[in-house]
Amino acid sequence: KLKVGTETVQQGVEGLMFLLTESAKLMISEVDFQDSIHVLGFSDELNKLLLQLYLDNRKEIRSILSELAPKLPSYHSLEWRLDVQLASRSLRQQIKPAVTLKLHLNQNEDQSAQVLQTDPSTLLHLIQQLEQALGEMKTNHCRRIVRNMK
Amino acid sequence: MELSAYAQGGWRLLGDPRRFPRRPYAALLRAAFRSLLDHPRAGLDDPDLKDIDPTVLKHCHAAAATCILEAGKHKADIAAISTCLEDCKLDKERIEQFCTEYQCRELVTVVSFSIGRSPLHITDVSWRLEYQIKSNQLHKTYQPSYLVTLNVENSDSGSHPDVSFSCTMEQLQDLVGKLKDAAKSLERATQM
Repeated sequence: KLKVGTETVQQGVEGLMFLLTESAKLMISEVDFQDSIHVLGFSDELNKLLLQLYLDNRKEIRSILSELAPKLPSYHSLEWRLDVQLASRSLRQQIKPAVTLKLHLNQNEDQSAQVLQTDPSTLLHLIQQLEQALGEMKTNHCRRIVRNMK
Repeated sequence: MELSAYAQGGWRLLGDPRRFPRRPYAALLRAAFRSLLDHPRAGLDDPDLKDIDPTVLKHCHAAAATCILEAGKHKADIAAISTCLEDCKLDKERIEQFCTEYQCRELVTVVSFSIGRSPLHITDVSWRLEYQIKSNQLHKTYQPSYLVTLNVENSDSGSHPDVSFSCTMEQLQDLVGKLKDAAKSLERATQM
């Protein structure tokens, strides 16, 4: 339909791909994008089309590229349950509270679930530690870094 | 509280003053308690026990340990333990010796508490906050991210590789929120 050889089409597609991914990766501004493609000597109309293509798809391309970075399993959700152990083979007449957790994690499209257990005092300790972690982003130190890194 | 035939056999040997004079008897009781509560190999190398035949020693050690665990399991009182040992033809003095040792060692129930299977147990958590700047695939990411590691223990083998995962601030807030719900429910349950 395009009336050109397959090799030409392939090179064209690859060229476009490169242009869009590199631009999205570097998050270049509109002006920089226009300057970059100017050297290709295309018509104004084509340049406008390319710019629009870049702006429309930038976010999606960036989100796909972010999947390629090395990473650990990420948090998906958590389910919890309270149990009281009343007896076991080695000990009768117990009252042993326990918190059972099911941690759902994602890694590269696979979901995994891990069953874990903890006791009440460790649970409170976990909450305290993780609340401290959340609080860190609000400290002056972190705020300063975030401000200066933009 | 009941003992198996094997354990009863061991206690009958322990009750025999020809096989087990006073000192070796006391030494064996100490060894049995220590091996359960302190260290698995402790006590059997007591010099008072060196004259006892090793098979007899093993049998009696097993019998004593079984009695300790059964008493702990059922939270047996002195009367119950005494009745049980009387059935094995132990004299009053030896029964009293055992009961005294048992009463001094409050930790028996703790040991029984910890025997048994359970899912991986969380013992601690560590976290790391990072601010992502770029990767080779994507520049200017500028995003905070948390790395959380849960230290876990296996009831069988003791250690286990930790569970680590990354999360955004919102995800961590979700996690903490859910843990707080669990804690609140726990508090309400204990007040009932």
